[in-house]
Amino acid sequence: MSNAHLLQLALGFGVVTGGIIALSAVGLSLQFGITNYVNFAFGELLTIGAYMTLLASRWIGQFWLAALIGIGVTAVFGVMINRVLLQRFVDRRSSTLTMLIVTFALSLILQSTIQGIWGADYQRFDVPRITTTVNVVGFLFTTRQLMMLAVAGVAMVGLHLLLTRTRLGRAMRATSDNSELARVSGIRHKRISDWTWLLASGLAGLSGVFLALTISSFTPYFGFQALFLVFAAVILGGIGRPYGAVAGAMVIGVAIEVSAVIVSPAYKDAVAFLIAIAVLLVRPNGLFNVRGKN
Amino acid sequence: MTPIVLYLVTIAVYFVIYNILVLGLNIQFGYAGLLNFTYITFVAIGAYLAGVTALGRAPGGLTQIQYIFGLGLPFPADLVVGALGAGALGLVIGFVALRRLRSDYTAIVMVSLGEIVFATVGNQTNLFNGQTGLLDVPQPLAGNLNLSFNNYQLFFLALSTAIMLVLWLAANRIYHSPFGRTLRAIRDDEDAAAGFGKSVFTYKMTAFVVGCVYAGIGGALTMEYLTAWSPGAWAPSETFIVWSAMLVGGRANNWGAILGSFLVPILFIEATRFLPPVSGHPVLIDSVRGVVIGLLVLGTLWWRPQGLLPERRRFIRLSVGHREEAVTNV
Repeated sequence: MSNAHLLQLALGFGVVTGGIIALSAVGLSLQFGITNYVNFAFGELLTIGAYMTLLASRWIGQFWLAALIGIGVTAVFGVMINRVLLQRFVDRRSSTLTMLIVTFALSLILQSTIQGIWGADYQRFDVPRITTTVNVVGFLFTTRQLMMLAVAGVAMVGLHLLLTRTRLGRAMRATSDNSELARVSGIRHKRISDWTWLLASGLAGLSGVFLALTISSFTPYFGFQALFLVFAAVILGGIGRPYGAVAGAMVIGVAIEVSAVIVSPAYKDAVAFLIAIAVLLVRPNGLFNVRGKN
Repeated sequence: MTPIVLYLVTIAVYFVIYNILVLGLNIQFGYAGLLNFTYITFVAIGAYLAGVTALGRAPGGLTQIQYIFGLGLPFPADLVVGALGAGALGLVIGFVALRRLRSDYTAIVMVSLGEIVFATVGNQTNLFNGQTGLLDVPQPLAGNLNLSFNNYQLFFLALSTAIMLVLWLAANRIYHSPFGRTLRAIRDDEDAAAGFGKSVFTYKMTAFVVGCVYAGIGGALTMEYLTAWSPGAWAPSETFIVWSAMLVGGRANNWGAILGSFLVPILFIEATRFLPPVSGHPVLIDSVRGVVIGLLVLGTLWWRPQGLLPERRRFIRLSVGHREEAVTNV
């Protein structure tokens, strides 16, 4: 295979990886818009999505139904960790610093719990390996990759419609822009917060299942490792800005897959981090961030 | 020496080394409020550099063992190189991470940079022998002293305790110095400190590098004691152990650093290290340990956010008329 061809193949992979990262990045951005602190336990929601799907698929045998259940459980779980733990620390007016450490501790607890139940070994879904590919304008994709891209696209469009066309979406955006103003306008903060966590965690779960399918085997730490790619995407897009996050995720996705061909697969995550760090050096608030939302 | 005494000596060495690590993090976070979420990276670099300074030239060839330096220098040299190397890496990483970023961005940048270092050390086998790591590193003065194995353990404990005491006194000295006072001012209100004409970046950078030197010394001592070091020894969760020791013991209080490094790494990690593995479940103890440490940190932040031994704040009392008023802490 020629180099140009390999590069084109990597570009296609990059779009798929970007789409998967985008799901998480949008979820993280939505959640950040409401909470205003960065959640280091967000990666564990990806992990939980994958492990819950694994658990459900061993019970009912049907993978896609199991994935749906796994994602649903993850979404509800996200709401619960916010209510039981994180929101309580916020209600005490904990500093951003404290919240950072709290979410780090939570990440360790969840990771260790999953490791305690399933062990540290690699797990894989019981899905057939797909070898046939479809040619889409010169790019080769497996049917599963195309399906994942389609689902990610539908999720994005659906989210866009939700945010712009529904009362709930408008209330979410209002709370994200200025929560005090939203509160005095009669928007119930608790309810909006619950919905946001549900959506964000559901997106994380979906992203986790897709990522696990793409890398084919996963461990209790894979979500935490992926989290920093999501962070890189979110930093590029400007934190708390869902649309920027999609663009950032695409850049990161393509960058890591292409660098795997040009540099070495061992350094593909490092390349994503370097891009994010370079952006922060030039623009400390992220590439597309606007003033005021800090 | 009975096995139990030998075990206690080993635990004591770990305690002393963790104490040095917690002191370094305390200078960074407790004094200056810097979020070093990749502390273990500096420990690792200190360990590696000490290792390649003490080891002779890499055999290479058929053994496939390769690493840089291979200077074969005697004891204090490896410790010094490890400490300076970690400090130098601190300078590089600090230059990126200590700019005026939001605190969460700083944390993200730190972890990302740590991952880059981790990937590089693991993949560039010509640096520190890749995933296999360094083995059979000579121990300090072992060749000159000719002690029995047991006596050497005692000697090492004495040596590391002496180093720890010097570092502990230095950390206390820094806390009470004008430099330490400025660090705390920056920690409590960066804008106010800048308003008084303090160069915030320079102060932060200095505190960061000093903390990294402590990390490097701790790493070098670990290497000298264990005589081996590989990427498996510095998982990201190790950083959290040092963090939890500092938070539980009490940030910005060096007695708290001692208490914390006894409570967390020693009671929870090292003392449970030799528990018999649960059959069919090799990582169960490890998992329970992770959950307990996480809960310990959450509990501390909820019930006693300042830690068991909180920072002792001294107040200058200025008399304003007849009323005595606490104006500022020193």
